[in-house]
Amino acid sequence: MARLVLDEICKGWDFPVLDRLSLTVEEGEFFVIVGPSGIGKTTLLRCVAGLERLDAGRVFIGDRDATTIKPYRRGVAMTFESYALYPHLSVYENIASPLRARRLPKATIDQTVASVASLLKIDHLLDRRPHEVSGGQKQRTALGRTLVAKPDIFLLDEPISHLDAKIRHELRRQFHTLEELRRVATLYVTHDYSEALSLGDRIGVMGKGGLIQVGSPRDVFENPADLFAARVLGQPSINEFQAMIERDANGIHVSVADGAIRFPPAGPHASVLGRRQDMGISVGMRPQHLSVLPEGAEANRPTVTGSVDVYEALGATGVLIAKVGDQQMTVITPPEAHYQTGEPVRIALDRDHFLYFDRGDGRNLMVGPH
Amino acid sequence: MVGIPILVIVLIVIYPTIWMFYHAFHDTNMMSLFRQDWQPVGFQNFEAVLTSERFRNSLWHLAIYLTFGACLQVVLGTILALILYESVKTGWMRVVLLIIMVLPMMLPPSITGILWRFLLQASNGAVNHILLNVGILEGTERIDWFSVDLSLWSLVIADTWQWTALPLLIVFSGRVSLPPAVYEAAKVDGASGYQVMRRLTLPMLREIIAIAFILRFMDAYKFVDKVYVMTSGGPAQSSELPVYIAFQTGIREFQVGLAAGYAIIIFVGAALIITLFLQYLKRVMRNAGVVD
Amino acid sequence: MSRTAASAGQPNYRLIRYVLLAFLVIWLVFTLFPLYFAVITALKPVEEINRMVPTFWPETFRIDNFSGIFADPGSLKSLIDSIIIASANTALSLVLGTLAGYALARYLRGALGENLAFFILSQRMFPPVAILIPIFFLFDATPWGTDSYITLILLYLVFNMPLATWLMMVFFRDAPKELEEAAYLDGYTPLRAFFKVTLPLVVPGMISVAMLCWIFAWNEYLFANLLTGTTVKTFPVHIPTFVAGSQTLWNFVMAFSLVAMLPPVILFIILRRYMVRGLSLGVVKG
Repeated sequence: MARLVLDEICKGWDFPVLDRLSLTVEEGEFFVIVGPSGIGKTTLLRCVAGLERLDAGRVFIGDRDATTIKPYRRGVAMTFESYALYPHLSVYENIASPLRARRLPKATIDQTVASVASLLKIDHLLDRRPHEVSGGQKQRTALGRTLVAKPDIFLLDEPISHLDAKIRHELRRQFHTLEELRRVATLYVTHDYSEALSLGDRIGVMGKGGLIQVGSPRDVFENPADLFAARVLGQPSINEFQAMIERDANGIHVSVADGAIRFPPAGPHASVLGRRQDMGISVGMRPQHLSVLPEGAEANRPTVTGSVDVYEALGATGVLIAKVGDQQMTVITPPEAHYQTGEPVRIALDRDHFLYFDRGDGRNLMVGPH
Repeated sequence: MVGIPILVIVLIVIYPTIWMFYHAFHDTNMMSLFRQDWQPVGFQNFEAVLTSERFRNSLWHLAIYLTFGACLQVVLGTILALILYESVKTGWMRVVLLIIMVLPMMLPPSITGILWRFLLQASNGAVNHILLNVGILEGTERIDWFSVDLSLWSLVIADTWQWTALPLLIVFSGRVSLPPAVYEAAKVDGASGYQVMRRLTLPMLREIIAIAFILRFMDAYKFVDKVYVMTSGGPAQSSELPVYIAFQTGIREFQVGLAAGYAIIIFVGAALIITLFLQYLKRVMRNAGVVD
Repeated sequence: MSRTAASAGQPNYRLIRYVLLAFLVIWLVFTLFPLYFAVITALKPVEEINRMVPTFWPETFRIDNFSGIFADPGSLKSLIDSIIIASANTALSLVLGTLAGYALARYLRGALGENLAFFILSQRMFPPVAILIPIFFLFDATPWGTDSYITLILLYLVFNMPLATWLMMVFFRDAPKELEEAAYLDGYTPLRAFFKVTLPLVVPGMISVAMLCWIFAWNEYLFANLLTGTTVKTFPVHIPTFVAGSQTLWNFVMAFSLVAMLPPVILFIILRRYMVRGLSLGVVKG
C-alpha cells in the first residue's frame, strides 16, 4: 500500500511523448487519465511499470525510489489493452501466474484464485483457454491476474474499451465496487470520457507531452483548462466556433459567422470578455447546452434559427446537426422529437454553461488570472 | 546469443572460405599440403579454369539445368498448385493429392538418383518398356538415357520429378491463405475465371512464387548429388556441372589450388546472385511482415 | 451453379477445365509411377527383376528384402548412423537457432540486426563448394579425422543453423512481446518469463524447424559421401554401394530406399502445416 509519485518524468527527446510530467496518485485513489489515442497514455503506464526506461525524472512508489527497479520487482500490476493473456495456459493458470512467480504453496494459490475468480464471476471458466472465452471474460481474467498479485500500484490500460457496450457498463460498475482497487493507488487510462467521469476520483486530461489538466471529474468537465480538454470530454463533441466580441450601446455580444449566431454572454462571462483587448475568441457550446425550441414557444434565453442538416435518433436521446448560417451546430434533443432534413429549427442557447477560449493558445478565458 | 552461431559460421564457413581464397592463388596439391610448402602462382589457377573447355561446357550444362531444372519446376509447380486448388474442392482429397505430389521431395536426392537410374536402364528399364508398350519404341529399339546426348536430360527429369513439389507446396499454401473476400467481390463483379487468375491470383501470389523460385534456383545452383549417383558427370563429361568438377579436382585428384580456383569462381557467382536475391527477399519479407 | 452458367455462356471453358484436370492426372501418374515401381521391385525376387522384359505387377511376392535390411549389420548400422547424426545435428541447430533467433527478434531489431539476420540466412544459399575442400583437410588434421560422427554433426550446421536461426527469429517475432512483459509484471525474471511464456509459444515453430533440419540431415549425401564412408556411413552413402552394374540387388536397394523414406514422409503427413511455413522461410503462414 503506497502512493505513486511521478517527478518530472521524460520519455523521448526529439518528439517527447512525456515532457516533465509530474503527478501524485494517493493511496486508495482511483486516478483516470483520459486523452485521444496515440497521445502517450500507454507509454506513461509502461514507464510507471518499468517496461520503458525513463529518459529523465523519477518514479516513487511509497517512499521507495523505483526509477531503476526492474518491472518484476516493482510491485506494480498492469492490465494490457490487448489483455496479454497467455494463450497456452488456462484461465486458472493465467490468474495464478503472479502467485506461481512467487512460488507459493499450491493450497494458497488454489484458494486465492478461487476467491478472485468468484469475485469476478469467472469461476466456471477456470479450465478454459483464453481463446475459448468471450472478450468480457478475457478482461476479467486479466483483471484477476492483477488482483491476485496484491500490488502496490494498479495500472489499467483501456481495460474495457474494446468490449460491447453492455459488458462495458457491467465492468464499469465492477470497478466501482472492487475493494482491492479502492485500497491502493490506481492509474486507469482511457480515451472514453464517460469512463473517466464515472470512475475517477480525480482525472487528468492528457495532451501532447503530458497532463493538461488535473482535477475532479466535475471540475474538469465544467471548467476545462483549454479547448483541447474541452474536446476530450463529452460526446458528441463540443461545438466550437470562431467568434468576435462586439461592443455597442447595449453591452457586449458574442458574434459567430457575421452574426448568424449572436447573443449577449452570461453576466460573469461578460465581465471577463469585456476586459479583453483581443476581440477574436473561440466559443465552445456543449450539445447538451443547446436545445430545440418547440414551434411558437417563448424563450427566456437567446435563440438562433437554422435548418436541420442531419438527424439521428439514438433511442434515449437524439442528435441533431443544424445548419446555422454557414456553421454546423450539434444539439442533443429529447427522444420523442423527430426532425426532417431541411426543416427549420429554433435553437435556444443555454449560455450560462458556454465556454470561451483564447484563439491562440486555446486557454479557457474564465479559468486562472484574467 | 547471436554470438555462438556467428562463431560457428566463422569457424566452418568464413575461415574455410578464406583458406580457399588463399590457395586459389597457390599451386597447392596433395604433396605440397603434406609438406606445408606451396608457391604463389598469381592468377594461373583462374586462368586454367576459365580457359578450360571442360569448365565452359559445364557452364552450358548448368545453364540448361537451371532453365529446365529450376525455372521449369517453378512454372510446373505453380500451374499444378493452382489446378489442384481450383479443381479439387473436397478438403481431404486435396490433402491426399498434395501428400502424393510431395512424396518425391521426401526421398533423399541420392536415392532419387538411384531410383531413376534403375527406371531409365536401357535394356530392361521400366521407362523404355513403357515406351515400347505404347508404341513409341519398336522391337529392339531402346533409348540410351545415359548417352552423351541424354544423360544431362536424365538428371533434369529425375530432379524435376523430385523438386517440382517444393514450389507446388509453397504456392498451394500461399493460394489457400489468400483472402476469400477478394474472390467473392470479383464474383459479384462478374469477372471470368481467366480474369480472376490474371488480375487477382497471380499478382497476389507473385512474391510467394518468387520465394519458391529463389529457393529452387539457389538449390539448383549448388546441385550435385544426383550427378554423383546417376552419371558421375559422364559419359565423356557430358553431364558435368561446375560444382562437380570442383569437388572432383579437389577431393579426388587433390589439385587443391586448381579446385580452389573453381570454387572461388563458383562462390563469386553465387555471391552476386544471392546479393541480388536478398535485395528482393528483404522487400518480400517486409511486405509479409516477417521483418520490419 | 455459377460454374454451369459460365460454361453455358462460354462452352470452351469446360474443355479448358478438362485439359487442366488431365494435366493434373498425368502429373499424378508421373509422380506415382516411380514410387509404385520401387514398391513392386522391392517385392520381386531377383530373377524376376533381371528379366529382359520388366513385369509391371510382381509374379511372386517376397517381403524378405524389408526384413533383410535389419538383418544385415552394415545396413542396420547405416540407418543408426543416420539417426545419430540427424538427431544430434537437429538438437544442436535448434538450440543455437533458438538462442540466436530470440536475440535477433527481441534485442536486434534495428538495421544491424536485420542485416545480420539476412547474412545468416544467405549462408544457407551458398554452395558448399568453397568450404568443403578446406573442411576436408581441416578435419583430417583433427584427432577424430574426417570419418567421424562429429564431422557431419558439425558440418550440417552450415545449412541447418542459418535456417533454424532465421525461422526461430520469425517465430519469436510472432510471439507478442507484451506477453513477456505481462510475465515480468507478474514477477517473473526475464529468464523465467522466457521459459514460462515465450518458449511455449514458439513450440510449433520449433517443431517445424526441427523437422526441416532433421529431414535435411537425414537425406544429405554430398558431405557424407566425400568426407565419411568407413567408420561412419549414413544410409544415403550406404545404399549406392549396392549399385554395381548387373550384380545390383535392385529389390534390396528399393526396399531399403522405401524404408529410409518413411520417417520424412510420416513427419510430413503429421506436421504438414508447420512445414510449409519453414520451407517458405516464414513467408507463407500455411
